[in-house]
Amino acid sequence: MSAAADGVHDAPNYMLIWLYLFIMTVVELGVAFLPIHKSLIVMFLLVMAFWKALLVALYYMHMKWEPVRLRLLALAPLPAAAVLIVVMLMEYV
Amino acid sequence: MAHAAASTMGQAPERGIEVYNQKVGMWVFLCSEVMFFTGLIGSYIVLRFGASDTWGAPNEVLAVPVTAVNTFILICSSVTMVKAFAAAQAGDQKGIKIFLCATAALGALFLSIQLYEYTHLIEHASWQGSHGFTPAAGLYGATFFTMTGFHGFHVFIGVVCLTWASIQAFKGRWGADNTHGIEVLGLYWHFVDLVWIILFTIVYLI
Amino acid sequence: MATIVAEATGQAFLTEEHKLSFLRKYLFSTDHKVIAAQFLFTTLFFLMIDGLLAMLMRHQLAWPDQTLPGGGILPETMVASGYILPEFYNALVTMHGSIMVFFAIMPMLVGVFANLLIPLQIGARDMAFPRLNMLSFWLMIPAGLLTLGSFFVIGGAAAAGWTLYAPLAARPDLSGVALGQIMWLVSLIFIGLSSILGSVNYITTVTNMRAPGMTWFRLPLTVWALFITAILALIAMPVLSAAGIMLLFDQTLGTTFFLPEGGGQPLLWQHLFWFFGHPEVYILILPAMGFTSEIIAAGSRKPIFGYRAMVWAMISIAFLGFIVWGHHMFQSGMNPMLGLSFTISTLFIAVPSAIKVFNWMGTMWRGNIHWHTPMLFATGFVGMFAIGGFSGIFAASTPVDIYLHDTYFIVAHIHYVLFGGSLFALFGAIYFWFPKMFGRMMNETLGKIHFALVLVFFNLVFFPMHGLGMAGMMRRIYDPTGYAHLQGIQDTNVLITWSAFALYASGFLFAFNFFWSMFKGPKAEANPWNANTLEWQTPSPPKHGNWAQIPVVYHGPHEYSHPDIEDKDWLAQNERPDVLSPAGSH
Repeated sequence: MSAAADGVHDAPNYMLIWLYLFIMTVVELGVAFLPIHKSLIVMFLLVMAFWKALLVALYYMHMKWEPVRLRLLALAPLPAAAVLIVVMLMEYV
Repeated sequence: MAHAAASTMGQAPERGIEVYNQKVGMWVFLCSEVMFFTGLIGSYIVLRFGASDTWGAPNEVLAVPVTAVNTFILICSSVTMVKAFAAAQAGDQKGIKIFLCATAALGALFLSIQLYEYTHLIEHASWQGSHGFTPAAGLYGATFFTMTGFHGFHVFIGVVCLTWASIQAFKGRWGADNTHGIEVLGLYWHFVDLVWIILFTIVYLI
Repeated sequence: MATIVAEATGQAFLTEEHKLSFLRKYLFSTDHKVIAAQFLFTTLFFLMIDGLLAMLMRHQLAWPDQTLPGGGILPETMVASGYILPEFYNALVTMHGSIMVFFAIMPMLVGVFANLLIPLQIGARDMAFPRLNMLSFWLMIPAGLLTLGSFFVIGGAAAAGWTLYAPLAARPDLSGVALGQIMWLVSLIFIGLSSILGSVNYITTVTNMRAPGMTWFRLPLTVWALFITAILALIAMPVLSAAGIMLLFDQTLGTTFFLPEGGGQPLLWQHLFWFFGHPEVYILILPAMGFTSEIIAAGSRKPIFGYRAMVWAMISIAFLGFIVWGHHMFQSGMNPMLGLSFTISTLFIAVPSAIKVFNWMGTMWRGNIHWHTPMLFATGFVGMFAIGGFSGIFAASTPVDIYLHDTYFIVAHIHYVLFGGSLFALFGAIYFWFPKMFGRMMNETLGKIHFALVLVFFNLVFFPMHGLGMAGMMRRIYDPTGYAHLQGIQDTNVLITWSAFALYASGFLFAFNFFWSMFKGPKAEANPWNANTLEWQTPSPPKHGNWAQIPVVYHGPHEYSHPDIEDKDWLAQNERPDVLSPAGSH
């Protein structure tokens, strides 16, 4: 059980990621109050939120450098979560 | 954990995930947390989809600016957390102490502002005629308090663990040869930040 | 540094136990074998209590016009003037199901056997997180106290069915139960946490701590089953926790998640509950399938027929198990399109289960079968599970289920898979692994008598329920004689009740055998069944730390009657590296 995955790469620029997150949050705030169609706002905000979450996962949680098996483990619940939400939404379709 | 090799007559250990046990364990636990928040957030999505005309508009009841600042605070705490880990890897004892304490403090600050927001909503906000915005204020109130409340509970647990880790730092426990605890705690803390990123967007801005 | 030396020699582990106090060694132990025993005693206790609840129900159903013998000792809120009150009957129905699922069957399958077998069968010294393991057990205690205590509070125990459908479960003014329901929901949160933390342990241990040579496809089927079960629990239980919290808030904080009068959705509860509930039933059957494979291979002295197919079948069952939950909701008023898709996926899931049944039969075919008690129960499992599976196929079809839903046909189905399935396999597993846990053999004659009694009376209790259901007897009713269309079948209810009393009584024979053998049974050798898996290659019971040296694995787990071995019909996983396993189980 070697910890070989750690430290075999250069440390990412954590402050740069922080800056991206900050900028994206400000953009979100701006877009949320624009006088455009609501569904456009929702789509844009969801993409932004997902992108920010991905940055945190990949860089702060180190996923970019972890073995594939660990990444698969982390992704495993997502299909189940998606199935639950999609099926429940079908009650309104 | 690699000690098993010493007693196995030269045979290599089985491959596994090739990451130490505590990290695997924390990721497995985070999978269960994903499903827990899916239960809460999924219900919110479904309930709102079916009753969208009874929901408040952004900034109508909930204070977006203050919460935006709070979001920023939590993101900063992720930075200090990751810097604490980097300090541990480098054996920088001073850095470990500073950044662990900073993360705990920022987490506590997040919680305080959240609690202040809650009391303000419950006592002063108004929603659909009734005075005070509480969990009983329609589905809007119910989903708001449940989702942010449980997120806050997870932040609280994180702050408790960070306080313990900070105390341990002052006892000299962490170092280049003992980074696993900080790394694993960091994974939990980043996850809590990640959930908030999603919550902030869908609860406050949509 | 010292630990590396100690690991290599095993000495520190083998002597460490002498330094612990009684409290640390037996009560607050982090040793997986002790924790397994703690789970076993606790779950057997709950099994006994819950069977008693069922006996009260059966008395009421057979003789609704007669008083309950000895009913006077129960409070007036439960039994008034000797008659079981309808409110108490609802609580019995609810708590029978809830306690069986969460305090008896699930913790017995997982808490006992995952803890006992995973480290031993993969060649590890203990679980990845021994202290977390201890916590998993101790979380069950407050949960159990809350559950049992809920019977004695004002309003009594939860009474809205184990499925806790809203709005009934959320409104005390409708169900008559306030505090009892809250206590049960809080208890559920403790149980959920116990289960999730257990899953973290089992998944990490199996993935990362297998002995050298123990590749994935050399794992015993028991380990595969428990590993897949842990993944199911990890993904499904948190959703129940979330839903349970929302239900709790509906009841206590005035929220209306599931209450239509506040804009909420009762169907939301059903979707969330059954999204958990369906994987839950696979949690309740997969470990049982694992034990059965183990026992049948050892008892037939033959390799498991189609080891890889067995593995892929379990993986398919787990995967499909996440997309069939709507078959519990055909009558709920959900989107009819969902009815169609859930029927299709449910019929699909019968296929891997059938593959497993055929493979068990294929294993036994022309085997040199030793009909000891574990083998009897494992074979019984295959038959009873198959019957339960057949009734499931009927229920899977929407038009048929519209008639059968909430009738005793479904009660028959559940009990064939949960009792005839899970509990038969559990009995077999207890008889099989008792020597490893306690170092003594259970009495074989008493075991065979126990099996015969259980087989006969179990079928007398539950088979007629198929007929009752088709005749229109509804679930959870208090007095069948109050319905005109059920008058003619009341005799069946009486037969079932007498058989149920006999079934419950047979449990005491088992209990006597279990406890007597623990102290007075003949001492067991390391490998009384001549089985291959690693737990049998260490003393009975194993010492703390399990192995002096971590074993090295050369073969698959079910290599019985290997053609190249002349002197015996078994081949332990860690012996004779020169003998090659046949291709396929390598």
